[in-house]
Amino acid sequence: MAEAKEQPRIGVFICHCGTNIAGSLSIEEVKEYAMTLPGVVVAEEYQYMCSTPGQSIIVDAIAEHNLNGVVVAACSPRLHEPTFRIATQEGGLNKFRFEMANIRDQNSWVHMHDWEGATSKAKDQVRIAVAKARMLEDLEPKSVPVEHAALVVGAGVGGMQAALDLASAGIKTYLVEKNPTIGGRMSQLDKTFPTLDCSQCILTPKMVDVGRHPNIELMTYTEVENVEGYIGNFTITLRKKARGVLTPAEAEARGIVGGGCNGCGDCAEVCPVIKPNPFELGMAPRKAIYIYHPQVNPLLYTVDFDSCIKCGLCVTACGEEKKAIDLDVVDTFEQVRVGTCILAIGYDLIPIEGKKEWGYKRYDNVITGLEFERLICASGPTGGKLIRPSDGQIPKKIGFVLCAGSRDNTGGVAKPYCSRFCCMYSLKHAHQIMEKIPGAVPYLFYMDIRSFGKMYEEFYYRIQNEGAKFIRGRVANILEDPTSKNLTVFTEDTLLGRPLSLEMDMVVLAAAIQPKPEAERIRQMFGVSKSQDGWLLEAHPKLNPCGTTTAGIYLAGVCQGPKDIPDTVAQAEGAASAASIPIHIGEVQLEPYFAQCIEELCAGCGMCVNLCPYGALDLVEKDGRDVMEVTEAKCKGCGTCGGFCPGGAIKMQHFTSPQICAQIDAFLLEGGEQ
Amino acid sequence: MATEKNYGNPELEAKLRDRYLYTDDTNPEFLNDVKKVSRTIAHMCYQCGTCTGSCPSAPRSSYRIRLFMRRGVLGLEKEALNDPDLWLCTTCYSCTDRCPRDIAPTDVIMAMRNLAFKYDIVPRNFLKTVQLIYTTGHGVPNNDVNRSAREKLGLSRDPPTTHSYPEFMPGIQKIIDHYKLKENADRILAEEGQ
Repeated sequence: MAEAKEQPRIGVFICHCGTNIAGSLSIEEVKEYAMTLPGVVVAEEYQYMCSTPGQSIIVDAIAEHNLNGVVVAACSPRLHEPTFRIATQEGGLNKFRFEMANIRDQNSWVHMHDWEGATSKAKDQVRIAVAKARMLEDLEPKSVPVEHAALVVGAGVGGMQAALDLASAGIKTYLVEKNPTIGGRMSQLDKTFPTLDCSQCILTPKMVDVGRHPNIELMTYTEVENVEGYIGNFTITLRKKARGVLTPAEAEARGIVGGGCNGCGDCAEVCPVIKPNPFELGMAPRKAIYIYHPQVNPLLYTVDFDSCIKCGLCVTACGEEKKAIDLDVVDTFEQVRVGTCILAIGYDLIPIEGKKEWGYKRYDNVITGLEFERLICASGPTGGKLIRPSDGQIPKKIGFVLCAGSRDNTGGVAKPYCSRFCCMYSLKHAHQIMEKIPGAVPYLFYMDIRSFGKMYEEFYYRIQNEGAKFIRGRVANILEDPTSKNLTVFTEDTLLGRPLSLEMDMVVLAAAIQPKPEAERIRQMFGVSKSQDGWLLEAHPKLNPCGTTTAGIYLAGVCQGPKDIPDTVAQAEGAASAASIPIHIGEVQLEPYFAQCIEELCAGCGMCVNLCPYGALDLVEKDGRDVMEVTEAKCKGCGTCGGFCPGGAIKMQHFTSPQICAQIDAFLLEGGEQ
Repeated sequence: MATEKNYGNPELEAKLRDRYLYTDDTNPEFLNDVKKVSRTIAHMCYQCGTCTGSCPSAPRSSYRIRLFMRRGVLGLEKEALNDPDLWLCTTCYSCTDRCPRDIAPTDVIMAMRNLAFKYDIVPRNFLKTVQLIYTTGHGVPNNDVNRSAREKLGLSRDPPTTHSYPEFMPGIQKIIDHYKLKENADRILAEEGQ
């Protein structure tokens, strides 16, 4: 295919990156070498190529030397490709006439102590980039419209905040929650540190706002079933789990005017099935038709069809006027179209019984921090009276085991990371028992007290001043007296250098936290990666902490990594802001890395259509025969089809076979005859 | 650097002894030696105290495993190897089971004992054990009390070990000779006049 091509005129621009690159290899040698490469008409070097003067060098050189290709040898494309593309464009070229050689992350940082080797590798990298730059073509990004709606998955405090922000910015927001009520973990907490606000008191106004906001469509007891599409145009299939109870609106749709559930609870009263209430962590009962707690939103009963025996007593109790209960309903599916999505799917405690030395689930009086929250909470199973599970007595000496499964590299259920809020809630627990139980003494067994937030260190001071005992030693093991059910805690007071054996009435484990089990399925549907520690992966830990590597998907709260309420809310607002930008702009530009069908070569075999992971390819009839057609907006440029096509009929824009072959040749032939 | 004061009163002087840790007190190679011999990540200790809290020896003695971990990290070779507490570990491995950093503190102690032996720092009873194994194949050889107890239980007077099969003794002695254990034990005890 001999096309009349313009002669390549390439400029090579080498960045010192301070000493990041220049400290490990010879910039001068690489520059001289670049000038010897075919097609290269100018080579420059500068201390910081990404700076304004650095970019001016590129812009000026394009005009002065009439360049048609730009190579920058610097850091990673992820960091500065957009910067240099803009410089290329400002110089008057199509912005895809730019190629980057990563001589920092992939060279100078790795070969920091090998000057000769790094210099030689940088020459290879520049030669390879120049080989591609000689074959670059003008490309135009494709612009697609953005749906004026957003989806938030998870209605804990993070999801609610994100939904409220989006909705208040004028965006139709679908807030999906798998549980029957919104509120999440925060609604299970009694008080919050360091202000000691009642958790429910500050949360319920938000729950009410969410329920009332005209732009929020709240969908509780609903799960995401399927995700299709791309930024601006996601089609989300939602599974509305069979609830067995009609809302007033649903009842009206059935012609029962003035009917539907009004939350009176007559049904639960007559229900004969008793099950543990997961909201109370199994410490209180619920019926097969239930609400989690009195402050649920929406106030709507739910039938647990796994335990319902369909006796029909509730239907009778509900009565002919409301007719709110229908035990024959099934799951229904609904599709919504949204422009962007925020995941705020929260966390679980680790199964701390896996750390056998502390005896959780073996010893009655060893509980978790979350169980403590329910026991000390006025709306909890004991009405806020902290009692020992073994005998209902009020504990006087309570041990708090910090870092229970956190900062632990032994594998199993343990987690190597710091769970970040356990120090602070344990301090708060210590305060609460001293406040509620006269003469009670909390013992905090700790390695480090990490009180890093605003007013947190002051809170630590306050609790110590109130009389809490701090023992710097990680708890080695706990033994239970089988008669009294008292617990003996063994550790070392590391500051005294003496082993310690202390008898406690009760022990609270500040258990580590981990991603929800369903996080894996959700992240795969939305195309989000996870980091080494299992949490969802942000696009950049510092510069893009709310975004993900999939355009249009954002993260909020603990699902991205352990964080407390202020940080969760802050990230939720950040995610909402980021998610609203494409919606407000109304269109997004897609990278033009689409597959293209060269129709004269296409045999219409259709193999690629089945291979495409994004459903972007179809067979269509043209001039009496079948050929493949690409839906460009769906194509992500992965190259699966291009790599497979037996006829070589699929061209991957910006990653064409000739371009890649030229790069391989340039590498293997050591810069000799091409 | 005034590392000594002179008040003429030995008791007072001992109390007022300079307790600064000086760079000279440390041997940076010590940590590497310990890691090499113990094959565990001794440098990763964060001093949480789980080891001492788990240790059955700690509440009954002055042995503090965490202190030895610290000495290893800081390279306090002399202090670690000359401390007689080094020999109070029963090698029960409770600390190794529970260490949250997945270090094997027991193996660190074993490594330090090995390194101490190179400087002839070994308690006498350990050396006598070596001699006993060399001559009988047992650290604690059978005796008449045991023999009659065994008879009462319907067992043979001697267990089916080197006591019953003395022909295996040369093999055991060959192994001990290879590591010069007996030779060194005899020498050190002789130097001490025992």
